[in-house]
Amino acid sequence: MPRIQIDGKPVEVPDGLNLIEAARLLNIEIPHYCYHSGLSVVGSCRMCQIELEFNGRKSIALGCNTLAADGMQITTTSDEIRSIRRAVLEFYLQHHPLDCPICDDAGECDLQNYYMEHGLHDSRVDLAEKKHKHKVIDVGPTVVLDSERCILCTRCVRFCREIVGKDQLGVYGHGSDAELMNVPGTKLDNDYAGNVVDLCPVGALTDKDFRFKRRVWYLKRTPSVCTGCSRGCNISIDWETSRSYKDSGRRIQRLKPRYNKMVNEWWICDRGRYSYHAVDAPNRLLMPISNAEEREHGVSINAILARAAAKIEAIIDQNGSASIAVLGSAHSSNEDLFMLKRLFADHLKVQNIDVNLPGEANGSEDQILMKADLAPNRRGAQAIGAVPWGGEGQNGEAILEGAREGEFEILIIVDHDLTQYLGEKALHKLRKHTGYILYLSSHSNGMSEIADDVLPLAMWAERAATYTNFQGRIQRTSQAFDPLGLATPEWKYWYELAAMLGCKCDYETPQEVFNAIGEHTESFKGLRWDDLGDQGLMLTDAPEPAYRKIQCPNPLPAY
Amino acid sequence: MSTKQALLLSRNFAKTKQAKIDVAMKHGAYSMLKKAMSMKPDEVTAIVKESGLRGHGGAGFSAGTKWGFIPKDKFPRYVCVNADESEPGTCKDRLILERDPHLLLEGALICAWAVRAERIYIYIRGEYFYPAKVMQQAVDDAMKAGFIGENIKNSGWSCSVHLHTGAGAYICGEETGLIESMEGKKGFPRLKPPFFPAAVGLWGQPTIVNNVETLAFVPRILEIGPDKFAALGTPRNGGTALYSLSGHVKKPGVYELPMGTKMKELIYEYGGGIRNGNKLKAVIPGGSSSHILTAEECEDLPLDFESVAARGSMLGSAAVIVIDDTVSIPQLMIWLTRFYAHESCGQCTPCREGTDWLVRLAHRFADGWGTRKDIDDMFELADSIDGKTICALGQAVAWPTKSYLQKYRHEFEALVK
Repeated sequence: MPRIQIDGKPVEVPDGLNLIEAARLLNIEIPHYCYHSGLSVVGSCRMCQIELEFNGRKSIALGCNTLAADGMQITTTSDEIRSIRRAVLEFYLQHHPLDCPICDDAGECDLQNYYMEHGLHDSRVDLAEKKHKHKVIDVGPTVVLDSERCILCTRCVRFCREIVGKDQLGVYGHGSDAELMNVPGTKLDNDYAGNVVDLCPVGALTDKDFRFKRRVWYLKRTPSVCTGCSRGCNISIDWETSRSYKDSGRRIQRLKPRYNKMVNEWWICDRGRYSYHAVDAPNRLLMPISNAEEREHGVSINAILARAAAKIEAIIDQNGSASIAVLGSAHSSNEDLFMLKRLFADHLKVQNIDVNLPGEANGSEDQILMKADLAPNRRGAQAIGAVPWGGEGQNGEAILEGAREGEFEILIIVDHDLTQYLGEKALHKLRKHTGYILYLSSHSNGMSEIADDVLPLAMWAERAATYTNFQGRIQRTSQAFDPLGLATPEWKYWYELAAMLGCKCDYETPQEVFNAIGEHTESFKGLRWDDLGDQGLMLTDAPEPAYRKIQCPNPLPAY
Repeated sequence: MSTKQALLLSRNFAKTKQAKIDVAMKHGAYSMLKKAMSMKPDEVTAIVKESGLRGHGGAGFSAGTKWGFIPKDKFPRYVCVNADESEPGTCKDRLILERDPHLLLEGALICAWAVRAERIYIYIRGEYFYPAKVMQQAVDDAMKAGFIGENIKNSGWSCSVHLHTGAGAYICGEETGLIESMEGKKGFPRLKPPFFPAAVGLWGQPTIVNNVETLAFVPRILEIGPDKFAALGTPRNGGTALYSLSGHVKKPGVYELPMGTKMKELIYEYGGGIRNGNKLKAVIPGGSSSHILTAEECEDLPLDFESVAARGSMLGSAAVIVIDDTVSIPQLMIWLTRFYAHESCGQCTPCREGTDWLVRLAHRFADGWGTRKDIDDMFELADSIDGKTICALGQAVAWPTKSYLQKYRHEFEALVK
């Protein structure tokens, strides 16, 4: 553990850390462009130069390429360093188009930030001398390149080669004619292409999805977790705060990866990145829907819950709990599943509970981030016990089978769109033989058409919740904004229903529900909401996995 | 060539068909390789170190010391012969490649023996078609004669030689740029540290990169002995050097003279004086990337690494460019900055953006709309490039620029609009 001094402040840093990272420990920023913690060091931007005093010798060194060693004294603010930074900024800005007013990156651009902090020079370049390069280059299906803004830091090139293992971007030409381009014959079409936009320190690479949509200073950032697959990548939701009249009310403007060393490091996949469109999709369910007679007049959530409670009570009195089946969802949060289990399994003694259905849609899987299992919380469902209960209950497959034969009077389904699993005939049979179907969903689909009652669910960005990823890591999402329409988090419905059925719980917030999970569930023993932090915690019976650099198995060298 | 010259390297340059192996062997080629192979590798390195042989590629780093940097137990090792001679003004390696290729091969093989390398790469600049052809023939002949290949002369040591022609990039003469280019990548100089390819070089293995001339001296050092070799030059500057004399002299050419030969002697005695009876204005002593020296500064200047450095310039590759009083320094500045802007690899910011900017500023004076502020700007720009880059190309443009502006500022001011 080398002990070093940065700007007079002593700090002990772990072995093998470079000076940029070491300075971060003291909240000192050494400005840099080409360096990124997740990529190899090329030292080409020359912005991170610092004054180094080591072994009695004073020198100018690169923050990125100098590993901290015992006894180093570093100055980041001397006049010489300031003038170096100014000079580098002036070099970068001499041909820069300065089109900040129409640049998507304005407001989060390192050229802007560092200019205000370290540059503040007047231009010495004659406008007529400005070099022009290609603009609006379609480098891939999701990304647009503006070569004039590019500062040739090669972060994107290294990302594609080192993390994704694909050679899709490169710098061509030499000297001042060097330009970022697609590798001939390729497009930037890998599953992680969106990350190059996050990596780009300037506005050279912009996201087609976000291009010209919003100025970043109108966005608010809420930490969350991607619910697109079972990895649970940490993300930030950037959402519109004030101008809701824009783009027909699109609230989420973009998702950005959030660092979590053990889950996704700095990256997310494009599947997750663009998954947010579902939140403001036109087919979101905004109101409860009821059967044909009531549909015209509208119905309240309470009326539906009261009806469901009455039916459940009557059926249990009549036939016992065996004629009730519950198909929960692995897309639900830990809180939802806990309340579902508490109500149906513990209180009503319903045994036919499952979240798994055969033939659930799978996504593609790779060795970087993407998992085939698209449900974010299957591990949590297992840990909580939202599975065939009591050893005698039927699993999802058997429930679907039985429902067709009229085995169940009441079928409660969360999220699963059965039209995707069953053929028209089977579905018709199921509908005919089942007395009452209660369906909870965030979107309208085939199932919401045939269920007796449909309740609208709030989505991940509209609620605080916890999810357990495939490793067994429990991670928190935060509520960015209110649910659309009357949509409500799933656990609230179960909570209300439980109250009607005489199962008293005293939970006001998801935090309280989670703390209750910690009290009542073996795998969550002792865990509390506040302890989860922004990096999550492992299930008590899941071992902390070894650190793995998020990278494809056969990366290419820097270049 | 004058008879006064110390004929060490250039001894056989004038002989016809010296490039043929039988002719070369008649003149003693490969005898020193045999001698070296009778010694322990470390002994060879020690001899080279003792001789004070310094790198003639530009930096003047002690060759023996460089060989000693090889880590003890890392194999395989490589030797790269830097024949990417591209510095404006330098034309000495070409002669060795064309006139006495076996001398170079022998030197490279002795070096490979000394560092226990198993492969020698000769990186020849792309424009040297003919030298590359001659060299390839020499390699083929030496292979047939058994000096290259498996189990050389039953020593149990194998060493192969490969020729690689560059694609015409100045920057590939920088040793790490050369290594990158050799690896099949873009010729981008590597980030330092690691400082020495001797530790981490070609494909991450220990690699000795030496200039053609440096290696060609090695057989001669073994022949005449390190003491005698060192005695030829001045203290700390052993032996002779090939001075590439160009510019406005009557007899430009390559002259082999002992280190420490006086500049005036080189220009007036060997070069025959300034053309057309003009006056000497300035001299660029070590290739275009060295500081310019005014005529007064050249007075009494011995041409060795330390003496030239003491006058604020560098001997570099000993390419002496003579400039007479017909030359406009602002014009020279255009020529210089254009070359470096064109040859900048574009990897790091100050060099990529700064060289190009210098060209534009330099042109302002020629075009007649330069201002006094532009002179200061140029100096400041050069300062922002100097020493702030990955490789030495930044210095190579900054040093001469600064020296032109310092020593001939009045010429720029005369052009101010």
